[in-house]
Amino acid sequence: MADPRHVPAETIVGPVSAPDDVLRVEHIAKRFGPVTALRDVNLHLRKGEVLGLLGDNGAGKSTLIKILCGFQKQDAGEMFLHGNPYQPKSVDDARAQGIDTVYQDLALIDELSVYHNLALRREKVHHPIPFLANREMKRDARRALDEIGINIPRIDISVARLSGGQRQAIAVARTVNSDADIILLDEPLAAMGAKEGAQILDLVARLKAEGKVSIIMILHNYVHVLEACDRVSMIQDGVIALDKPTAETSVEELTDIVVNEYRRAREATHKEEAAAEAAPPAS
Amino acid sequence: MAQAAENPASPGTSTPPAGGPAPTRRASLPHRNVLLERVLSLREGSIIIVTLIVAIYFALDTSTFLTSSSFKTSLPFFAPYAILAVGEVFVMILGEIDLSIGATYLLAPLIYYKLAEAGIPPVPSVLLALLCCMVVGAVNGFFTAVVGINSFVTTLGMLFTLEGLTLVISHGQPVTLPDAQVTTSTVNVHKVINGAHITLTETVNHVSTFAKVLGEGTYSELIWALVIVVVGQLVLTFTRWGLYTVAVGSNKLAASEAGVRVRLVVIRNFILCAAAGGFVGILEAVRASALEPDVAGANELLLLAIAAAVIGGTLLAGGSGTVVGALIGALFLGILKDGLILKGVNADYQLLYLGLAIILAMTINTYVQRVRRGSRIG
Repeated sequence: MADPRHVPAETIVGPVSAPDDVLRVEHIAKRFGPVTALRDVNLHLRKGEVLGLLGDNGAGKSTLIKILCGFQKQDAGEMFLHGNPYQPKSVDDARAQGIDTVYQDLALIDELSVYHNLALRREKVHHPIPFLANREMKRDARRALDEIGINIPRIDISVARLSGGQRQAIAVARTVNSDADIILLDEPLAAMGAKEGAQILDLVARLKAEGKVSIIMILHNYVHVLEACDRVSMIQDGVIALDKPTAETSVEELTDIVVNEYRRAREATHKEEAAAEAAPPAS
Repeated sequence: MAQAAENPASPGTSTPPAGGPAPTRRASLPHRNVLLERVLSLREGSIIIVTLIVAIYFALDTSTFLTSSSFKTSLPFFAPYAILAVGEVFVMILGEIDLSIGATYLLAPLIYYKLAEAGIPPVPSVLLALLCCMVVGAVNGFFTAVVGINSFVTTLGMLFTLEGLTLVISHGQPVTLPDAQVTTSTVNVHKVINGAHITLTETVNHVSTFAKVLGEGTYSELIWALVIVVVGQLVLTFTRWGLYTVAVGSNKLAASEAGVRVRLVVIRNFILCAAAGGFVGILEAVRASALEPDVAGANELLLLAIAAAVIGGTLLAGGSGTVVGALIGALFLGILKDGLILKGVNADYQLLYLGLAIILAMTINTYVQRVRRGSRIG
């Protein structure tokens, strides 16, 4: 199935499962037309663990997250949640099963207020006439934002008028506040200032200390990965090329893997081009 | 001093005290501007002002504008557009457009007529006709949201298809509606005059309650329009339906990532819009006691309904809209038409002036909105 030429030269992969896994992913593959995003991904997440997902742009990290959260369907492979087969039909379905996501694009609605964004798809309504219970949602929003400790002065203005970091914080707050036991964070530190980024990492540390949730987090900054995560998995060319506890790796090792892979891919491309030039043109 | 200036502003905002002081541009403005600013801070603010200007102009210019008979004659110029515009607002907030309301407008009364002719009582006939329109809306929504054709094209195709179908079924001939007729009967009235019993004959007009409610009563259309506008605005502002409509219109991808069922939202708003089109068609047919397969008239009506929504402050690009604004937009168009007639403008010139007035109104509208954004409390 997988083109062996594209599989990274060396893969340093730990055991693909553990007894206390909350989530396990086996042989996941996904194509978008001619583009293969994921070839054969095996991944597991232990209870209470923070797993850092690394990989270059286009390596397939976001695709994997979108499959896990029910936004897209894999072409092949299976997933297991708490040991049971897991195949979410929709984002709502995944959420109902306890998996919630902060998307790379944040999934915020500019035209809606901060508190409506926080409550989206979990709105509170009055009975018997199902009007939105705005006062209640405002109170909940205020509490949720206070809990994660990020200052949003007004929650009744539209999110379009907030800074990038504040928007990010709202997206994170929405997910953290969702009673999920597995949280997927797709680049939660993008667009954040140093201080706001530290606040999000503190929040992740606090969640980890509480031990109730397990987290998969896509990050680009290796220092952040080593600081915030228990274990790191790196996707290259649609497969997991490295899976190690963060204590056993270093910024240098992670950097080397990425750079070597880049050099190897470039050489392969040169060879292909040379071969194409040497070969007679196809009719 | 700055602290003192902030205090009067704070009761006007809904922020809890813990939320920190809001920026206070308002406090720095002169006091006399507060009322104007209140109006302007409404999304509908600019069109309210433009409509008032037009109304005042006609009131000063013609002696008959501010009379109840003038008001009554202007109702048909206004109420149908308001109802159509409500449906259109829900679709336009999604960033879509529904041109097929011109066709459901013609088709619904025809279906109603055919069913009534087949012996089905009027009320179920009307409901079935509306159901057919809703199916049309669902098809529009399906092609837009699931197949992925631009709604302008989908609904334009639907408009021509159904208008053609209407012409085929009706053979292009007007028909009179059975239940909407004014029937006259002669009754004998006994009177006692100077102790002598005499019998006189009198002619009495009857209109069925059904017809009175559905368009033939003088204020029937107005009441329907107001009810539909109020319900529509409540749905838009205070329910999940409205929240999801704005969410999908503002950012489809984000809405679906957040778990909003985008296709469902699109389809049901198209259903709503088509039903509004059919309902207005029935109201107008009953009011006229006849239905005329007037394709050109229906097309003008549909464009004016869209104009009413846009003039009222709903963005063609989606993401933002107001039902009450659409009502005022329709009112603006109604006042304009009525005023031009009362002014005695030659029929040939009316369309010319109407068109110019729409452009002028939108120009003022846009300018006022710019002022409004500038005055927005940050």
